[in-house]
Amino acid sequence: MTFIVGTRFLLVFSLITGAIIFWRMQAVRTGKHTPQIRHINGLDAIEEAIGRATEMGRPVLFSPGIAGVTDQSAPQTMAAMEILGYTTELIAKYSTELVVSIRTPDLFPIAQEVTRQRFLASGKPEMFKETTVQFFSSDQFAYAAACMGFMKREQVAANIMMGAFWAESLLMAEAGAQAGAIQVAGTANLHQIPFFVAACDYTLIGEELFAGGAYLSQDKVKIGSIAGQDWIKVICLAMLLIGSLTATFNSDFWQHLLTK
Amino acid sequence: MRREIPIAITLIVGLTMLLSNFVDVPLGSEYSLKSLASELGGWVIIISAFAVGLASVNLVRIHSNHIRRRSSNWIYSVLLLVFLVGWTVMGILEFHNPESEALRTFSQNMFNSILSSLGAAMFALVALYLASAANRAFRVRNLDAAILLGATLIMMLGRAPVGALIWDKFPVMADWMLSVPNNVGQRAIMIGAAIGAFATSLRILLGIERGHLGSE
Repeated sequence: MTFIVGTRFLLVFSLITGAIIFWRMQAVRTGKHTPQIRHINGLDAIEEAIGRATEMGRPVLFSPGIAGVTDQSAPQTMAAMEILGYTTELIAKYSTELVVSIRTPDLFPIAQEVTRQRFLASGKPEMFKETTVQFFSSDQFAYAAACMGFMKREQVAANIMMGAFWAESLLMAEAGAQAGAIQVAGTANLHQIPFFVAACDYTLIGEELFAGGAYLSQDKVKIGSIAGQDWIKVICLAMLLIGSLTATFNSDFWQHLLTK
Repeated sequence: MRREIPIAITLIVGLTMLLSNFVDVPLGSEYSLKSLASELGGWVIIISAFAVGLASVNLVRIHSNHIRRRSSNWIYSVLLLVFLVGWTVMGILEFHNPESEALRTFSQNMFNSILSSLGAAMFALVALYLASAANRAFRVRNLDAAILLGATLIMMLGRAPVGALIWDKFPVMADWMLSVPNNVGQRAIMIGAAIGAFATSLRILLGIERGHLGSE
């Protein structure tokens, strides 16, 4: 077995991170710890948005971002699928129309399965239609144009954008705003967050998107893993402090350790 | 079993791909963990090709229905299908006639004159929408919006040449805002998001997060 040069610290840190998250989940499972999660307005607003769409008799558009399920942005897409499941349940509860727009073909069958199963579990399998999940285009701007056109033509009442977005984020958010839709967006792509904050009614920032699955299901074990994340943040803060101190005293010990 | 098998596959494949970034373990005389991960990467391409087929069928069916029912704007569905079929046929012809200069030129012209131009036009819209989004976001409705507007004004005056003419400290203030509060905020979001992504991936690998399988 040979270690790949420059990844040893990452491996150790990943193992520690995994162990802490697992430890906190176990603590919740055995009843030693009951974590609480704060309110996330963006996620609470999804029901408000769907309720508004029902009152207006207009559809809800859900965009799970433009990333796939195999690249480094895949966790964002997976987090979007958790939120899509919750959205579908609400759509079934309020009997309104949902359209999921897809850019990456490999996400298409997953989104279909998520919506089909959730409609089935909600006792309304007939609500799943061929048009519920639509593949728009695999080209970034063609996808954005298709979403913008859909919002304009159908006058969507709610536009939910969750996942990894790039340059199309503002185009889609502005088209939604011009259509008069209530907009809830969430991404962990740093450079797109300001666009969503400026153009949308509610925005999930960074880790709030990943907490969506735990928050919406209120599953204690999942919330335990969020509590584990807080512990890791404390470790990261300590590492930042050590790094700052060693850099201040002209020591490259910490830098060497991180790149081992 | 409908749930357990996908979760088991996710765990095995996920761990293989994850570990291959850190260590290389020989697996017999011909294979290693790294080559196995590379092989799995090849499988992803094959599976994606099937997904493209599924997605294309969905596209064709939805737009064929639009045309058949003469829904509003059905003419755009005709255009979409014509270009979808035309582009596919052209790609097949080009593949089977690699030495045909005419086909290659036609294909490149289609790409450069239509697809690239349309993409560039869409991207250019960002500048326009930036102004309209800013117009809404910078209305001073509360303290947060007022702070946002103040920071924006300083940043714009610090970056535009006219700012330095008004007061030479505007560029200094803009640089400080970018490198200190902005940087701090971005790093905090980045660290939180990275940890969140790791925790989400772990929950998926362990089968705790199963939303993508259609269940809670």
